[in-house]
Amino acid sequence: MSTYKRIALVIGSGGIKCAAAVGMWHVLQEEGIEIDSVVGCSGGSLYGTLIANHVDVSVMREQSAALWTSDIMQGYTTNLKATKDGKLRFTERSGLVNDSVLNATLKGIFRDLSFDELDMPLKIVATEMMTGEKTILSKGSLFDAIRASIAIPIIFPPWEVDGRLLIDGAASDPLPIDVAIQDGADIIIAMGFPLSYRERFRSMTAVQEQLNSIYMNNILTSTYAFYNLAHHAEIFPIIPEFDAPISMFDVDKIPDVIERGKQATRAQLPHIKRMLTSF
Amino acid sequence: MKKDKPRIALVIGSGSVKCAAALGLMKVLERENIDVDMVVGCSGGAIYAALIALGWPVQKATDATLRMWTREVTAKRNIRAFLQLLLPQIFKFDESFGLINDRVINRRLREGFDGATFAQARIPLFVTATDLYNGEQVVMSEGSVAEAVRASISIPYIFPPHKLDGKFLVDGYLNDPLPIGVAIKEGADIIIAMGFESPYKERITSLMRYNFQISSITSNNLFKTNYAFHNLAHHFEIIPILPEFEQRISLFDTDKLPYVIKEGERVAEQQLPYIKGLLTG
Amino acid sequence: MEIQDKQVNGVTILTLNGSIDAMTAPKITEYIQALISEGNINLIADFKGVDYTSSAGLRVLLGAIKDTRAQSGDMRLTGVQPDVLKVLNLSGFTNILKIFDDLDTAVASYA
Repeated sequence: MSTYKRIALVIGSGGIKCAAAVGMWHVLQEEGIEIDSVVGCSGGSLYGTLIANHVDVSVMREQSAALWTSDIMQGYTTNLKATKDGKLRFTERSGLVNDSVLNATLKGIFRDLSFDELDMPLKIVATEMMTGEKTILSKGSLFDAIRASIAIPIIFPPWEVDGRLLIDGAASDPLPIDVAIQDGADIIIAMGFPLSYRERFRSMTAVQEQLNSIYMNNILTSTYAFYNLAHHAEIFPIIPEFDAPISMFDVDKIPDVIERGKQATRAQLPHIKRMLTSF
Repeated sequence: MKKDKPRIALVIGSGSVKCAAALGLMKVLERENIDVDMVVGCSGGAIYAALIALGWPVQKATDATLRMWTREVTAKRNIRAFLQLLLPQIFKFDESFGLINDRVINRRLREGFDGATFAQARIPLFVTATDLYNGEQVVMSEGSVAEAVRASISIPYIFPPHKLDGKFLVDGYLNDPLPIGVAIKEGADIIIAMGFESPYKERITSLMRYNFQISSITSNNLFKTNYAFHNLAHHFEIIPILPEFEQRISLFDTDKLPYVIKEGERVAEQQLPYIKGLLTG
Repeated sequence: MEIQDKQVNGVTILTLNGSIDAMTAPKITEYIQALISEGNINLIADFKGVDYTSSAGLRVLLGAIKDTRAQSGDMRLTGVQPDVLKVLNLSGFTNILKIFDDLDTAVASYA
């Protein structure tokens, strides 16, 4: 009889790499490991929702390919130039991208689905734009919650939910394990995606990306370090490894990403199973 | 508990001119004959950590700051940098990029610290920076103090990264704005940690302000989560001292130094009873 | 999890073999508590034989480390394997613990 019963899945921010969660889900189902709740942040909120809705793995694969296309970035270059030329005024509701394609794609996948229609408890994490506070969404429209959670700062316009202006969950916490701890999970399987570092800097953009990666990775490790000490039982970090950098729209790499998700999960499996049978 | 006297560390986090509040804190500790056994500094805090570790009296330290840190240090533009921005391939954009020519700041730091080395410090000094290539914390505790401080204050985009021991170093705040971990690693018992949160904007009216807001959000979250971790990881007390300033203190507001130092004294007085209790208890 | 210890220059070297997890970590704590009560507070943990550290295992280990520090001692690490080092990095342990490449340097650090 297991004392440590409640298992939560936490899927962090990682853009297209979050598709690795499909691989993780595949392995967990194969092994008959039952999950009691899911937490999703940024790209992870998408897959968290699909998992909580018991969507078939093959359908998840198709939907990933539909989502991560460069169409969702439409307007970026034009708007960037207009902003720099002073022709476009930037406020806290602005974003460089015209989000109509993104919104249409998300609506196409999630339609009018709401949190309470899901088979499993799900929480989605975003960040409040004006205060930097972590915001947990667990009611109402899933489209709204996911749209808020993946609102990459400056790129996508922020999204208002219940009167709060929200942006990317990663800005407050790229891997919000604390939400699972707070909800009383014992075993927490957390899939996170550190950003890769550059070896050469040939442009300002390269420097900006590197500094952003440094920041975000340090937030990831410091929050993980804290949760590790604050939790009462086990956290299993699943961090897929990638040979080459995967950029946002490498949709043809999705099958490879899913495969790495499977590998990383299988590597932790013996330890997870030992935990499940020991307590 | 322990038989030995508790070792006291002072950690001064990133906060530019606000870090001078540490001088106010030191005034109070000195008055009470409370010895600090080691100092850790990050970014702007590194300047004050170094001055304190070198044992300079508050007035001398204040004068040195006024001479070192003025608008001139960011006045001279690095022409090559602007060319690199326009035509990165032709003008060979690389990791040494910085918009400002760092000759002035380098000279000011050299003159200001007058050749001081870590070995000359009265108490152990540790200065943190960030490795540009892998984001890791780099702790400097030997060699030239001016060089270490220069590395620690390498504000991204503004100053070029500082090359030291084969590494390209940028501002320490990028890995941890308040490096309490260094004090824990070095065996401190009571850690007095002076840190400064980044301000949030009330209204966002431009892309630059938006950028600033995002930067403050991520910086503050890094601050909080590191603090939370260190809090659980330490075996004894961490006393956070977080001065709040009613006036806005910008990057070069050195005319506000007396006000900042006074505020440092005030918050130190608040924590004093508890610190004294820990030392006698 | 097997533990052995020996003294070198007033420093106690603990050699650990196996996994440090929720099941084995309490044994390590007990061992370290016994050492501390005998006055051995300068410890080095040789991780050459440690193939895995779990979240709970690290938490318990940190408790023991804090006990040595409360007595003005410390625990420093050496021989950490790459997979374990990754976990120590992620868990913030590399920032709060001294880790050495080899045993001799680790021992010398207490001098």
